[in-house]
Amino acid sequence: MKLKTKLTLFNTISKLVIVTIFVLLLPSLIKNINQTYTDSKLRKQKDKLLRIVETQGIKSYIQAGESDASYYTPLKEDYVSLDVDSLPGNIDTIKNEKRILQGDTIEYRILSHNFKADNKKYLLEIAISVDAITETTRPLQNIAFLVLLGMILFTILADQLYSNYVLKPLSLIIRTKLVGHKFPNFGPFKEVKTTTSDFQHLDLSIHKMIETIESTFQKEREFISNASHELMTPISILQSKIENMFEQEDIVDEVKARLLEMQKILNRLKSITKTLLLISQIENEQFLKEDNISLSAMLQDVYDEISIRLQDKNISYEATLPTDWYLVSVNKFLLFNLFFNLINNAIKYNNPNGQIKIAAARENNTFTVSIIDTGIGINAEDIPYIFNRFKKFRQSLQQDSFGLGLPIVKSIAAFHHIRIEVKSEKGSGSAFKLIFPPGAIEIKA
Amino acid sequence: MNVLIIEDEKALADELEIFLTNYNYICEVCFDGTSGSEKIAVNLYDFILIDLGLPDYDGLDLLKEAKKSNPEAICIILTARAEVYDRIKGLDLGADDYLPKPFSLLELQSRMQAITRRRFGLNQSLVDLGGFLINLTERTITYYNTEVNTITKKEFDLIAYLILHKNRTLTRSQLSEHIWGSIINDDYDSNYIDAHIKNIRKKLNAHASPDWLETVRGLGYKIKINS
Repeated sequence: MKLKTKLTLFNTISKLVIVTIFVLLLPSLIKNINQTYTDSKLRKQKDKLLRIVETQGIKSYIQAGESDASYYTPLKEDYVSLDVDSLPGNIDTIKNEKRILQGDTIEYRILSHNFKADNKKYLLEIAISVDAITETTRPLQNIAFLVLLGMILFTILADQLYSNYVLKPLSLIIRTKLVGHKFPNFGPFKEVKTTTSDFQHLDLSIHKMIETIESTFQKEREFISNASHELMTPISILQSKIENMFEQEDIVDEVKARLLEMQKILNRLKSITKTLLLISQIENEQFLKEDNISLSAMLQDVYDEISIRLQDKNISYEATLPTDWYLVSVNKFLLFNLFFNLINNAIKYNNPNGQIKIAAARENNTFTVSIIDTGIGINAEDIPYIFNRFKKFRQSLQQDSFGLGLPIVKSIAAFHHIRIEVKSEKGSGSAFKLIFPPGAIEIKA
Repeated sequence: MNVLIIEDEKALADELEIFLTNYNYICEVCFDGTSGSEKIAVNLYDFILIDLGLPDYDGLDLLKEAKKSNPEAICIILTARAEVYDRIKGLDLGADDYLPKPFSLLELQSRMQAITRRRFGLNQSLVDLGGFLINLTERTITYYNTEVNTITKKEFDLIAYLILHKNRTLTRSQLSEHIWGSIINDDYDSNYIDAHIKNIRKKLNAHASPDWLETVRGLGYKIKINS
């Protein structure tokens, strides 16, 4: 999962949890607030009333000769009552109780308090109907809920925007520096603009690593290229000397046979050097891809070169290729060598009287060419290493090869963005499937 | 024929001189570009072999000078830096041929002959070998007016190369370098030459025995032409 997704997910979930807890707590919270507020209101009214009784006497409420008085609003939402209290003891409570008022039973929040005035004990009740209280509770709850929801949504949005903004350099680093880059080909360094020092550090570190890798690769390529170039002149001198000695009449055949051996060994050195040079030239992209050529014509050319080897081992060769397939924007010389080496291997590692099949297939816009042989096959555990330079396997030791055939194939294929799939079964043969990139093969009438 | 060899590797220059003298060329050797340039300005040559990797001179400048003061000369570029000859191809500076090092001396000589033939339109390209008439320009073999049309391109290349270097033993390495030299592959054994020769003999035998195509035991092959 991406870092951004994780952060967003955590933000949202944590905020939803807060909302849920708050919504669950809200009724009791509001009720509590309301009650506290109501109670303090009742107490204030009581204090006010008692002050009036103290200064103006009880008479201002209870007429002489009467024992009680009560006042209430027309809708009976609240009332105040004064009564002569005949019971002993002091009362000072606030609680919910039901009262019958002119035939209606209504639940009130009632403050009860007794006090003495004019040598009489009075009981004061100040009440507010519970309905009146709860009437305000619900809208309050709703408003609180909506405000909260709005704020949460706003913070989620803000978090999202900010994390997007702050993480943008990171995704830019990943997208432009790490994903989709064919190792070891990196583009030029472009600094990712960010004020986050961690990202600056990351960007710079990646850049430094890429530079190190690139320069190491570059050095390796340069070394191989220079070394093989430098070897060309001494090889050339040796070759000329051997050739001239070979033609000298005063040299006996026995010595000539040994010169021949030298020539053979020199040829081996020459082949290795030329091959390494070719691979380094391909990797340095010193070849152009400007040729368009018919696939079947190219394979016919390869066949013409290689038929003597097929004949030598009595191997049957069957190429079923559409004649209208054209290789577009390729290097003819390189592709010729790619096919030559693959087919040459199919011969080399084949059994006498074996078979080689070249098959072409098309799935939608993907063109493939397979080279299938009935040879000795490759061990499954060896397959990942067959394209490595100078890698030789036990089965190939008896062959005259120096382990550069498939590395050439690999370099040429990579240069043309051709993928190679290898399937092989020990003892029954191998199949090399070339998967061409879109546009590399076109059908022409 | 006069040949000027401009090559800073003394050992190689010496071998070139020995080899070409053997083939009846008259050789002059320079080991640096400056003296090469002087010789080009003063003398006339039929062939000028220029090594591109001279320490004191750009080989391509020498080529330009050669084209100016020796316009008739055949210029062949020798180079160890493979990518340079692509550049020459592109520049088209007038080199008649180029040979990447390491090259076979036989290859050099056959290129020199081929260019001479092309340039002077020499019609020495018909060779009679025991009744087989081999036409090197048309690339055909006829036996008393019957065309031997079973010979493949590769087989003809082999015959032509052996004719070009007649009466000399060519090794399998030299022959395979000539016919497969441009292919980069994993093999270093050249026994397929034997298979080709076997095929050639079989095909020619249908008409007459090609005794002139000799196997030199343990060494290679040669075509004998008495002249």
